Formats: sequence, C-alpha cells, structure tokens
Amino acid sequence: MEVSQYLNVFMDECYEHLQSLNQSLLDLEKEPENNEILNTIFRAAHTLKGASATMGFNKMANVTHAMEDVLSLLRQNELAVSPEIINILFESLDVLEVLAKGIAGGQEEDIEVAGVLQGLKKYSTAKIQREEPVKDERRKSLELRYLPDEKERISKTVAEGSTLHHLHVVLDKECLLKGARAFMILRELESQGEVIKTIPSDKELEDEKFGTEFIVGILSKKPLDKLVRFVERMLDVKEVKGKTCNPDDILIERRGGVVKSNTNTTKASSSKVAMSISPTVRVDIRKLDDLMNLVGELVITRSRLEQLSSENEDEFLEEAVEHLSHLTLDLRDQVLKTRMVPVEQVFSRFPRLVRDLAKETGKEVELQITGAETELDRTVIDEIADPLVHLIRNSVDHGIEPPEEREAIGKPSKGVVSLDAYQTGNNVVIKVSDDGQGMDAEKIKARALEKGFITQEEVENMEPEEILNLIFLPGFSTSQKVTDVSGRGVGMDVVRTQITNLGGMVQISSIIGEGTTFTIRLPLTLAIIQTLMIQLGSEFYAIPTSFIEQTISVSQKDIKLIRNQEVTLHRGEVLPLIRLQDFLGVAEAKNPELEELDVIIFRKGERLIGCVVDTLIRQQDIVIKSLGSYLGNIPGIAGATILGDGRVALVLDLRSVA
Amino acid sequence: MREKKEKQEETTQLVLFKLGEEEFGVNILQVKEIEKLDQGITRVPRAPHFVEGIINLRGDIIPIVDLRKRFGLTLPSIGYDSRVMIVEVGEALVGMLVDAVVEVLRIPVSSIEPPPPITAGVNSYYLSGIAKIDERLIVLLNLERALSAEEAKELAEAELG
Repeated sequence: MEVSQYLNVFMDECYEHLQSLNQSLLDLEKEPENNEILNTIFRAAHTLKGASATMGFNKMANVTHAMEDVLSLLRQNELAVSPEIINILFESLDVLEVLAKGIAGGQEEDIEVAGVLQGLKKYSTAKIQREEPVKDERRKSLELRYLPDEKERISKTVAEGSTLHHLHVVLDKECLLKGARAFMILRELESQGEVIKTIPSDKELEDEKFGTEFIVGILSKKPLDKLVRFVERMLDVKEVKGKTCNPDDILIERRGGVVKSNTNTTKASSSKVAMSISPTVRVDIRKLDDLMNLVGELVITRSRLEQLSSENEDEFLEEAVEHLSHLTLDLRDQVLKTRMVPVEQVFSRFPRLVRDLAKETGKEVELQITGAETELDRTVIDEIADPLVHLIRNSVDHGIEPPEEREAIGKPSKGVVSLDAYQTGNNVVIKVSDDGQGMDAEKIKARALEKGFITQEEVENMEPEEILNLIFLPGFSTSQKVTDVSGRGVGMDVVRTQITNLGGMVQISSIIGEGTTFTIRLPLTLAIIQTLMIQLGSEFYAIPTSFIEQTISVSQKDIKLIRNQEVTLHRGEVLPLIRLQDFLGVAEAKNPELEELDVIIFRKGERLIGCVVDTLIRQQDIVIKSLGSYLGNIPGIAGATILGDGRVALVLDLRSVA
Repeated sequence: MREKKEKQEETTQLVLFKLGEEEFGVNILQVKEIEKLDQGITRVPRAPHFVEGIINLRGDIIPIVDLRKRFGLTLPSIGYDSRVMIVEVGEALVGMLVDAVVEVLRIPVSSIEPPPPITAGVNSYYLSGIAKIDERLIVLLNLERALSAEEAKELAEAELG
C-alpha cells in the first residue's frame, strides 16, 4: 500500500509529538494557569489527530480528537485544569504510546481505547451544551486558506472578471440532515460561480462532520449581496454573512502552519508558530551509516596515501596529500556530527517517569537535569535509555527516603534526583545521582556473602568501591521488599552489560545518608573506536581501549605456575594470565625468547585478568565492521577493521574469555 | 517457426567452476563477482574449519569458504588458477574458494535432472541438480544450503565442543 512509505515519517513525527505532549503536560501540571503551555499541548494533539486520521489510524485519531475536545474547553476557560484532568490526559498519552507501538507492529486494531475515551468525554460533554460562544470565537479565526495552486487559479479567474467571495453560512439548529442540506447549498451555488473551497471540506460537510456552520469560497461574476440573498432564501439557512476578498490578500495553506501570502498586511492571523526552527531534513539512519562507512574508507586510504607519499619524497605530492588529509578529517568530523543528537531526546522522557514513580512510591521527588544539550551518536542514544531508566528507578525506589523519614533526619521532604551530562574529550559522561540514603557497604557485603558470590576471605581485601560494585553481579538485589518499581533482582547486571556493550563503563560512589551517584562514561560514537593495535606472529589485532584497564610489562621470570595457571604479581595481587594465542586458539609459538612480555590487563566481572601479547604497536582509531551475517557473532571477536595497507585485522573482545 | 520454439524454451545461465577436475555450476544471478586472491586471508578463530578467514573487498568484509573443506572433498587440487567467487546467499556475501572459473554457460532447464544421493563426493542435500550437456556433467550447487549461515553456526559450535 502507498501508505507504507509514509509510515516511517508518521511514526517519527508521532513519537516527537508524544514526547512534546509529555513534556508540556508536566509543565502544565506545574503551571495550570499558563495558556501558552495549553496552546502547545493543543497544537501537538491537533497535529497528531490530523496525521493519524490521514494515515487511517482511526483509534489514534479518536483518542487525540477526544483530547482536543477537552483541551479546547480548557483553552476557552470553560473548564479548569485539575489534577484529575491532568491524570486523564496523561492516561491518554500512555494509550497513544501503546497505539503508536501497535501501529508500528501492525496491531492497532487490538488495542482497547474505550476506557480512556470515556474518561475524556466525561469532561468534554459536561460542557458541550454551551457550544455557541465557542463557535463565535472560532468564527473570527475561520479564515479560508488556499493551496498555492488554488491561489493561482483564483488569480487567473479574477483576471477574467470574477470576484472571490467568502460566504459564511449558518444552518438552523433544528435542521435535519444538515449534511444533505449543505450539499444542496453547494450544488445550488455552483450555478452562480465556481466553488473553490469550503471549510470544512465538502466531504466532511456531506458526512455531517460539522457543527451548524461552514464557509464557502466562491469565484463568481455576481455581486456579493446577490449571492448572500441567494443562499439566505434556501431552506434551513439561518444566517449568511459575506465578504469579498482581494486575491492578493488571501492566506496560503501550508502543512503545519499558515503563511500569509502578502506579508505587508497587518491583520493578525493564527501565527503563533513563532519559534525559530532552522530548516531540517529527515535522513534514514542507514544512509548516514553508509556515509560513515565511506568516510571510514577515506580515512584509511588517506593514511595509506600518507605512507606512500612520505616514501616518495616529492614535495608537491606531500603538500597535496597533507591538504587532503585535513579535508578528510574535517569531513569525518562533520559526518560524525550529523549523527549526533542531544541526549535531551532520552532525558525528556524522564520527568514523566520520575513523576509517576514518585506517585507510586508515595515519595516527593524532583528531577534536575543539566547538560541535556550534550550530544551523542544516535546509535548510542538508542541504547542508553534502558540503563538510565533503570538507574533512575533505583534512585527513586531505593535511594530517596519517604518524606516523613527525610524530615526526621533534617533533610528537605522533597528528594532530588539529578541527571547531568557533559562531554570530556572523546567521552560523554552521564551522572545519575540522588540525595537519598546512600548504599550501605556492610549490607551489600553481608548480602554477597549470604548469596555465596564472594568468600569471607575475599571480602577482607576489598576496597569500599569494589564492594559497591558487587551489586552489578547477576542475581544480586539488596532490596528487602520486592516492589513494583524495582528490586526484582534483575537489572544492575543488565545495566552494566548494556553499558559495556556500548564501549562504556559505569562507576558507583555513595555516602551513607547523603546519596548515591552512578557515573556512566560513554564513547561519543560507536562508528569509530579507539583501539590498541597488537601483533601476534604475522597478524594484527585491535583491542578497544575501553576494554583495557592498563598495560604492563612483565618479566618472563616473574611468571609463575599455580595449579596449571600462569600468574604474576601485580600491585601485590595475584594476576591470572592468559596467552593471546590460547585465547584465539591459534598455534603460535609461546614467545619464550622474549625477556619482557607485554600484558594487557582487562576486567572480567570483578576479576582482573592479564593477556600476554607479542608486541604492542600503537593506539589507533579504527572503523569497526561486522563480520557479516554468514559468520554472525563469534565469541571473543567484536568485528574486523581494515588497516591502512588494506589488510584486515580482527577486533577482539577479550572479556569473553572463559 | 522452429527457431521461435527454441527461443521459447526455458533456459538458465550458469557460472561454471572447477574443484579438482569436477565441474560445478551456480546460477549466474547469485554470482556478484570473481576475484583473484591477491591478498592475505585473515584467519578468524572459532569460525568453522572450512572458513579460511576474511578478506577486504573494497571495504567490505567477506568471509572466504573453502568448498573442498566444506564438503569434505578429497579431490586433488589443480591449484594453478584459483579464484574467489563472491556469491550472494540471502543477505550475506560469501567468497568461495575454487580451483578455476571455466565459463558462463546457458543451458536449457530441461537438461537439469535431480541429483543422485552423492555426486562427486557431495551429498545431494547441497545440490540442486545435475546438468548433462553433451558429454559434460555439471554439478549444480544449492548455495542456500551449502552456505547456510545457520548450519555454519551449528558446525562451529560442534567443532568448539
């Protein structure tokens, strides 16, 4: 169906509108009197209604329509903003979100909307009797707007001696079959001239989708008063008003707003869309991926060219290559930038989350956000939402104390959860902190012992921070009671896995009684990663630096065998060692001739492990590529990259060692 | 009249290649290109044994499958003209290591017969048929089966134990 090609655009817009609705509703809750917010909400609901109706998603159109009814009453001060209304609007949003997901999955039909529709109608029908003053208000703004090609036609016909008239027709309230009546009127009018446009559209008129009035734009050679009288004579017509329009002065209809064709006229139109938005283009993320890939190739070719030109010792060539180099890197930066989106896209859903969580748990919580404009690669953004939701849930559920408790210990009754994002070098840091009770290392210790995750012996030697890190172990949960919100014992380990899969890391710091902070460090982009190139035999491998804790040099004689396991001492701790060739399962000789061995230390779970490699070469930014669907995911291999000379090197994920 | 009839006969176009002295054919529509192997193959640990490794094909990473190992063939290699045939299987591009690429041949579909249980040492499960053209016997590969990603995964897991 032809609809499918618009579906993606629709879905994107839909989610955007839902997000802005969510945000605005939260604002409205705080400032119920603010009309500007109300207008924003109304506009978003209205646009959504139009878009969903056009796409034929009737359930969504119905819900948004019902929302619009309530909202317009609020706008006209026919109804006051109350917590109940806010709640039903939030509920409607949730339903809309479910519908949006259903539409994406092709199951809009199965979703129940009757409940929320009824909830909304309760408010809108209570006031529906007093519709007249509302209509009066609308009548003023009911200007006929034309599409550019319609305008052209008007100008042409006017040049031939016709005049453009706008007729405002009001039908008798008692009129039966007003759709048929409107249709009759239009047909009669056709005998008097050319009907260009009606509001509502002729289709809507026929389907009786209008109140009692409508506007007709007609091109006719007859004078206005004649036309007015012509219509007035017809059955069921209560009132007709007319106006002759100058074709230079008419309004042009555009998607999403109204632009006056003649900017000199001072008459105010509904031009509240005053926000300055720079023009944008929607691009399929895959196209950006392809572009990024090509730029990656270019960067690689560049280094090859540099190598060749340095061998050639041709001054002009070198100069040209250097210039090309700069351009390539600039290009890469620019392409990277096109993929960057502000973390606000993720953050914006959290105020709602915190609001709901606070209500559920009976706590008072304020969410403070800073650095929402910090940018991250689109792919990272998509993946970071889940872990953040989890951490925020934890903060509200386990961190923040109930209000009474907080007051008792002299804290303000309202707890604060803060979300801070900022960029440092090639990383973005996101902090989730709360001013709650903090994490009790003793409790965590006890819990870990009880569950058998660690031994008494191990506990003795642990740094406080290491103890906090125990909560990242699978199956660990300190919550005494299982709540709806969190504490199901899954989660923290998943959070860490998700973050490390993004090439990031997460740290905890906590002070009892003062709060807890989770610090997440993420790479700016996934497309280009920083690696350490190593050589084993004749082959090269790249190890992402985000996996590496540090590199050390170990003397051959410091390697001991304990229970058939090679180990060495590192900072007074026993460090188990693996050989890269064993990890790879390749039969390379065990470099016995080397005095000093290079060892890469990485973290697997709570343990540090050293990996012995032949030679560390250098740090290098690489473009990571997948091995393709034929090979799929091979444990221990994160992908491959193409080196400057065209050779392929594997990118290793050491963490998957047994 | 007679010419017209011949034209109407359904034909299919094959790329013929050799493993040892046996001639194999695959549908030309699945063949993306044929390359000389002038670069080293990067070994991939933990991949199935018949995957020689990966190569860089103008920026794409392509896995290279040794068909000989894939089918457990003991055909002696003639090895003077080996090529990589890049074929498309489902979504994936895979390079097949072959001894020589012979020619592109159009054959009538009617000349294709179902394969006997084992042909040239290859189980008929991986074949789509046998074509008899004059005196030549061409073994037609079913690439979807011979280069199935699922099967490769299962084999890799079985090999790793």
